[in-house]
Amino acid sequence: MHLLAQDLVNGILAGGILAVVALGFSLVWGIMNIINLAHGAFVMLGAYVTWQLFSSFHVDPFLSLPVSFAVLFTLGYLIQRFLINWVARAPVLTTFLLTFGLSLLVVNVALLIWTGDTKGVTTAYSGTNFTVAGVTVPWAKLYTLLAALLITGVMQLWLTRSKTGRAIRATAMDIGAAQLSGVRVAHIYAIVFGLGAGLAGVAGTLISLSYSLNPSMGQPFLIKAFVVCVLGGLGSVEGALVGGLTYGIVEAFASQIDVTIGTQHISGTGLQDAVALVVLLIVLIVRPRGIMGRATA
Amino acid sequence: MKLRPMAALGLVALCAALTAPSVPVAAAGDTIVFGSAVSLTGSLTKEGHLTQEGYDFWKSYVNAHGGLKVGGKSYKVDIKYYDDESKAATAASLAERLIDQDHVNFILGPYGSGTAFTVAQMVERKKIPMVEGNGAAEKIFSQGFKYTFAVLSPAPRYLEGILDVAHSQKPAAQSVAITAASDPFSQEVAAGAAAWATAHGMKVVYNNKYPENATDVSSIVSAVKAANPDVILNAGHLQDALLVHKGLKEQNVQARAYGYSVGPDTPDFTGSLGKDANFVFGGAQWSDAVKYRADRPGFYATAKEYAKAFDAVYHHRPDYHDAESTATCLAFQYALQDAGSLDPDKVRDALAKLDVTTFYGILKFDSRGMNVYKPMVTNQIQNGKLVTVWPRGLAEAKVEYPTPPWGQR
Repeated sequence: MHLLAQDLVNGILAGGILAVVALGFSLVWGIMNIINLAHGAFVMLGAYVTWQLFSSFHVDPFLSLPVSFAVLFTLGYLIQRFLINWVARAPVLTTFLLTFGLSLLVVNVALLIWTGDTKGVTTAYSGTNFTVAGVTVPWAKLYTLLAALLITGVMQLWLTRSKTGRAIRATAMDIGAAQLSGVRVAHIYAIVFGLGAGLAGVAGTLISLSYSLNPSMGQPFLIKAFVVCVLGGLGSVEGALVGGLTYGIVEAFASQIDVTIGTQHISGTGLQDAVALVVLLIVLIVRPRGIMGRATA
Repeated sequence: MKLRPMAALGLVALCAALTAPSVPVAAAGDTIVFGSAVSLTGSLTKEGHLTQEGYDFWKSYVNAHGGLKVGGKSYKVDIKYYDDESKAATAASLAERLIDQDHVNFILGPYGSGTAFTVAQMVERKKIPMVEGNGAAEKIFSQGFKYTFAVLSPAPRYLEGILDVAHSQKPAAQSVAITAASDPFSQEVAAGAAAWATAHGMKVVYNNKYPENATDVSSIVSAVKAANPDVILNAGHLQDALLVHKGLKEQNVQARAYGYSVGPDTPDFTGSLGKDANFVFGGAQWSDAVKYRADRPGFYATAKEYAKAFDAVYHHRPDYHDAESTATCLAFQYALQDAGSLDPDKVRDALAKLDVTTFYGILKFDSRGMNVYKPMVTNQIQNGKLVTVWPRGLAEAKVEYPTPPWGQR
């Protein structure tokens, strides 16, 4: 029983991070119809921004959150404005190729700057924990989850209440109508892409607390973001959150599967990815637009 | 408007051109060219770079000392590298390209058992000998391949030394939990450790695998905690070793000893974990504490001499990945001299008969092509420094055991 409760907590803590990773990816995909293969590379850059501030100036990782957001937002905005905008209406394969190339470029530049050495952000509270009713909760991961929830909440408010947020949603619904109402689409697209990159940077900062850094660290997160996005529903803030938490919890519980059929021993820990993908498949059959997805007109 | 997608494609091509690692090689008649696909990007970047350092260090030595004498003629040596992006399938196609298009004479192995396995299949088909120093899985050598040789001890040996240490200390460790990545190398390491433990009366209380490239292992850590073992072992690579060790601290999992197959040997381990790295054991193919003396001239005679010269070039102590990669080249060096020819089949036969002691230890292959004659060592991180503690004859320091609680390390 303890173990199940512990797994639930592990799953929620891991899912919170995945939600933030997926959030930016989901916005860009849902609003601009661009599957940004450089998202993992942006996550990695965010983590390195945090590491650099931490190791050079002893800045606490949580305090570096705005910095990695700002750095990545600017980068994302410029990339969209001067690079991806050229191919915004091109077939999806073109943006695929472009963002893939971008990802290679970013990863290799990071290799030149920071080398392939593995680095870590180890703070005074790294690894410290508290125990409630037999369940151990690491402080750093709890803070990370709270930060993830806060960021998701702020994003949701901003998208629904602010003028720019509304313009973004209008552009997603009907680009022509938005243009006629005076929305500068190129600018809005650049803001969305910047936002996606900024959120990737934030995710990178949060990941750096528990995961080790190297230039190719973003790759596995990119794949998970993809699954979380489809699981929760494209382009919606609450979709990313629900998808991330679902994915985290399913993975955690999958590790408890332990069956022996004849001489064949099947262990769930080796199948975590597979179980999560099976859940994705089931969701897609039952709710093709994802758990929180809405049918669009 | 039509130009824009084309411009984007051109840009992608430019990106690819800028990032593709390419090392021009002059394949002249007086140069022996080796080819290698190593992981310069991807999850095994660090290990791939160490492999490359080991190879390059040998190359510079040989070229600075008049080249290699084969059959009365002196040759310069060169190495052509490609980046396999830590992917096994890519490594095999790169090996094919090295052989068919670049016409390299011989193949130096990639990093990792998965990649070594696919490259071994390729060199077998092309009948070009490969020596490798970074793929220890026995699976590679149970296929009847004739052209692949490995200078390193087989995978099942990696964690035996750590169990031996913990089992012979007081209070003796009685139980062990093993976590392993799902790649073939790590699985063999885990199976070897479990077999050793059972044979020596220790109880295996947890033995499970997790997917390669896992980003979260907290549930496995919880299960290990519930099993309450004396020794916690991990068979994997650097990235997972760090993830597991951080996870153990986060959930406050206390054991008498912690051991990893890959990780503690690289400076990155101590660098990322700080004090938490202390007391951790690592299985190693080699350390500069080994006391072999080379029985043939042509390279540094002892581990200490090698380490000193290496440090002067790369500004860090060579770890075992560096040393085994250099030893890979040495196997070719001596086999080429014995063969007196660059003919691939003659060199293959000379490799099969090779029996030489180097700074790294004995280089000799059994009928499968594995080096079962060289023992492994066990290292421990003590006060931020990596020291060899096992076997006793090579120990630089006393074993620190049992491990104190987290926060007091």
